[in-house]
Amino acid sequence: MIKDKLNYIIGGGFFLVLIGVFVFFSSPVRTQRVQAGFLGMISPFLKQGSGLQKKYTGLREGLRTLEQLDGEVKRLRVANKELSATNQMLRGLEAENNRLRNSLGYQEKAVFQLMPARIIARDASTWYQKIVIDRGKAELIEPDMPVLTPEGLVGKTTVVGEHSSQVVLISDENCRVSASIEGTREQGIVKGERAAGAGMPAIGLGFLSKQAVKTKTVRIGANVFTSGVGGVFPYGVMIGKVRELKERELDGYATLTPAVDFSAIEDVFVVVGETK
Amino acid sequence: MVFFALLLVLMFLALVVQHLIAPVPMLGARVLLMQMVMLYGALALPLPGMLAVTFAGGLMWDALHTQWAGDNVGERQVEIAMGWSIVLYAALGTIMNGFRPLFLRGRWEIHCLLTGICTSAMVLAEYLMLTLRRQPIAFVFDLPVWWKIGGAGVLATLLAPLFFFLLNYVALLTGYDPQPEQKPRTLQR
Repeated sequence: MIKDKLNYIIGGGFFLVLIGVFVFFSSPVRTQRVQAGFLGMISPFLKQGSGLQKKYTGLREGLRTLEQLDGEVKRLRVANKELSATNQMLRGLEAENNRLRNSLGYQEKAVFQLMPARIIARDASTWYQKIVIDRGKAELIEPDMPVLTPEGLVGKTTVVGEHSSQVVLISDENCRVSASIEGTREQGIVKGERAAGAGMPAIGLGFLSKQAVKTKTVRIGANVFTSGVGGVFPYGVMIGKVRELKERELDGYATLTPAVDFSAIEDVFVVVGETK
Repeated sequence: MVFFALLLVLMFLALVVQHLIAPVPMLGARVLLMQMVMLYGALALPLPGMLAVTFAGGLMWDALHTQWAGDNVGERQVEIAMGWSIVLYAALGTIMNGFRPLFLRGRWEIHCLLTGICTSAMVLAEYLMLTLRRQPIAFVFDLPVWWKIGGAGVLATLLAPLFFFLLNYVALLTGYDPQPEQKPRTLQR
């Protein structure tokens, strides 16, 4: 009897604490502060864990014969020369492009100021697509900063801790990006699928005109870039390629193959500003 | 008390390790280690302990996974408010705790199965919560979704005996007997 009473009191106390929790976290500022604090608390452990994991996979993958290594060095040397040449050519084209833009009265296209970051953890939940990077407030990272790799767009920062931040990937349904299709005037919104399968996540580009799908103005394999609308993502960053097209009741919809393999990336860049 | 504190530390460490484990290939399901330790705690501890571990588990989970929505700068809102995981975990913890008398007598088989069911229920509840929160509300229950929900439960059921054995052992080391009514097994002739 006394035990039952005690259980009721404990249950009632827990209920009151729960109400207190909901009241406390009704403020977004407090929620963000607690999230940032907990992220700061857990990130040293995540860094250690990620370091150990890298060492282990490095050791496992690093066991190669001298012949294999020799072959790889040769391949990399050739690739290096090719990339240097391409880079040289692109620099020339960039300068020419800027000159022409200037002469047309356009602003010189801004170049991003990038902050390199390492991925220290991937999201442990089932329904969200997030990663944790090893840069935070101390490195001038703020919420809603675009994150990318040389291949294309990765996502944007959300919760920012002292030395770590969460990045929501473009494959998450919550990360919406305004985009345009190369070679057309078609614009739409890119977002991830709520419950993507186990493989490469598919992302979709909605709100295209039905006409574009009907008349096949949009080609399969066309590149999709950020359009710069919305204020978060800069203009012209590669998102992916059109894989499939379909006509919906009110709009056209394209399924995209992301330019970035989210399961394989280890390093990313955060766009911290623009340099003129 | 020592075991309770140790359980909280183990939950934190399980949450860290969970981040380093990739989803199971083909299924896409996750191994939810922290939730398994928490469900064991809900079973091995009396009511106040159960409520405390589910509170800590829910708070840690929400602190890491509360999602922010909003497309433009300055429009950010919390998608599902912090604290809902505490409610969910406490509800499932209460179910686990209801089966405690059997656990105290030394049985564990049904509890392993229950761990799987509760884990699947957690994943399903998360999915339903975000489905109801996001627009347009669309209940997509295709095969990948069921694999993710059911797969997490199957993995938890398979891993639960190992976890129960190890955590029981740790409990005994700290001087806490989670199954005090267990009869010593004798060979009957």
